[in-house]
Amino acid sequence: MNRPQRALQHGLATCLCCHQLVELPAGGRCQCPRCGARVHGRIDGSLMLTWALTITGALLLLPANILPVMTVIYLASGEPSTIISGVMQLYHAGLWGIALIVFVASIAVPVMKLVGLALLLVQIQFRLPLIPRQAMKLYRVVSGIGRWSLLDLFMISILVALVDMGAIAQVAAGPGSTAFATVVVVTMLAARSFDPRLIWDVYDQRQSVNTENDKKGVAGNG
Amino acid sequence: MQHGRDKTPTHWQRACHECDLLLTGRLAPPGQKLLCPRCNATLHRNAKNSIRYTAALSLTGLVLFIPTASLPLLHFSIFAFGAENTLVNGVLSLFDAGYIWLSTLVLFCSVLAPLGKFLLLAFICWGSGWAFLDRPVGAAVRWYQHLKEWGMLDVYMLGILVALIKMSDLGKMEVEPGLYCFVAMMLVANLTTLSFDPQAVWDRMGRRRERRLRAAGAGESS
Ligand SMILES: [Zn+2]
Ligand SMILES: [Zn+2]
Repeated sequence: MNRPQRALQHGLATCLCCHQLVELPAGGRCQCPRCGARVHGRIDGSLMLTWALTITGALLLLPANILPVMTVIYLASGEPSTIISGVMQLYHAGLWGIALIVFVASIAVPVMKLVGLALLLVQIQFRLPLIPRQAMKLYRVVSGIGRWSLLDLFMISILVALVDMGAIAQVAAGPGSTAFATVVVVTMLAARSFDPRLIWDVYDQRQSVNTENDKKGVAGNG
Repeated sequence: MQHGRDKTPTHWQRACHECDLLLTGRLAPPGQKLLCPRCNATLHRNAKNSIRYTAALSLTGLVLFIPTASLPLLHFSIFAFGAENTLVNGVLSLFDAGYIWLSTLVLFCSVLAPLGKFLLLAFICWGSGWAFLDRPVGAAVRWYQHLKEWGMLDVYMLGILVALIKMSDLGKMEVEPGLYCFVAMMLVANLTTLSFDPQAVWDRMGRRRERRLRAAGAGESS
């Protein structure tokens, strides 16, 4: 059977920075001759690092959603709002378009990212049967959307400066925003440290085991 | 010089950075994309006149950065009281309120990373014409790749829109000239990202090295 040729089997690796094809020395890592980045067959400790960052992100998601992120004080009244209550306020004010944007950016995206990463990690860790095209799609979504979560924090930093009129109106940040900022950074780093080539490693390994079993089955019958 | 020649009859030119598939094609034709046949990753996007456009765009971005960072973006007023926001004064008030980590992140993603990207690209485009700058330019390309996803002007733009709509029923919101500069800078930043093709820089360096070798050879033979 004509199986796809992969770089690591031939002792080659691609530089993740400049995409130069490099011959790996015995140690399995070297410096890219073209851009000077470190080159390794697979990202070092990718699984462990991504697991650690994903779990950290999931744990931090709790304080990020329970603690208030922002307080709008208008005419000496106002109470701290969390991310969810901020979305609800927008929805009740009839601004459902904006409410949807904020909901997607600050609730749906982080949760989707963490769940997506966990799914990929479980599939690779336990070498489950996977459909590589689907897994790649998931990986690309997960690594592409993360940055939009910072929307809420940018909005807070704009409002803090903009609504600053002492007793009449004031916006103050809350401790939840720190936790949320950390969630965003941690999940972005998690997506970075995940090596999609591991998906194909698992897939190829399963394929080769299957074909061997088929051969054995044929031999046994014959 | 070529890699993996001794082991395989084919000259592998490139390995997919997302699935490790070895490929014989190296570059996309001008103005087109080269996709991985196995996982559909974009291996190379060949932008026309990449270096020239990127140089012009990054200089435009740097020029636009000055008014964007100094002029106010929005003006908000309730009764006779008003306040303005610039790119940095929100960060400063967050910092004063003790949110050091949050304000650093916002500053990094909305000011430092975009500025750094423009500076690095301007340096790369200018420096790739000089032989003695080969190493620093290689390092600059590497830093640019790391910095790329942290420049979030587009997310910040959405943050401005959400803030604008959210506060519109509380008081009067006015758009200041800085915002127009900001929008222009955001567009230029996105165009710069699209037009920059690191492969063009490597090719330029490679051509120069070849020319020098040939000149040295001609000098010896005469
Ligand atoms: Zn490299
Ligand atoms: Zn691929």
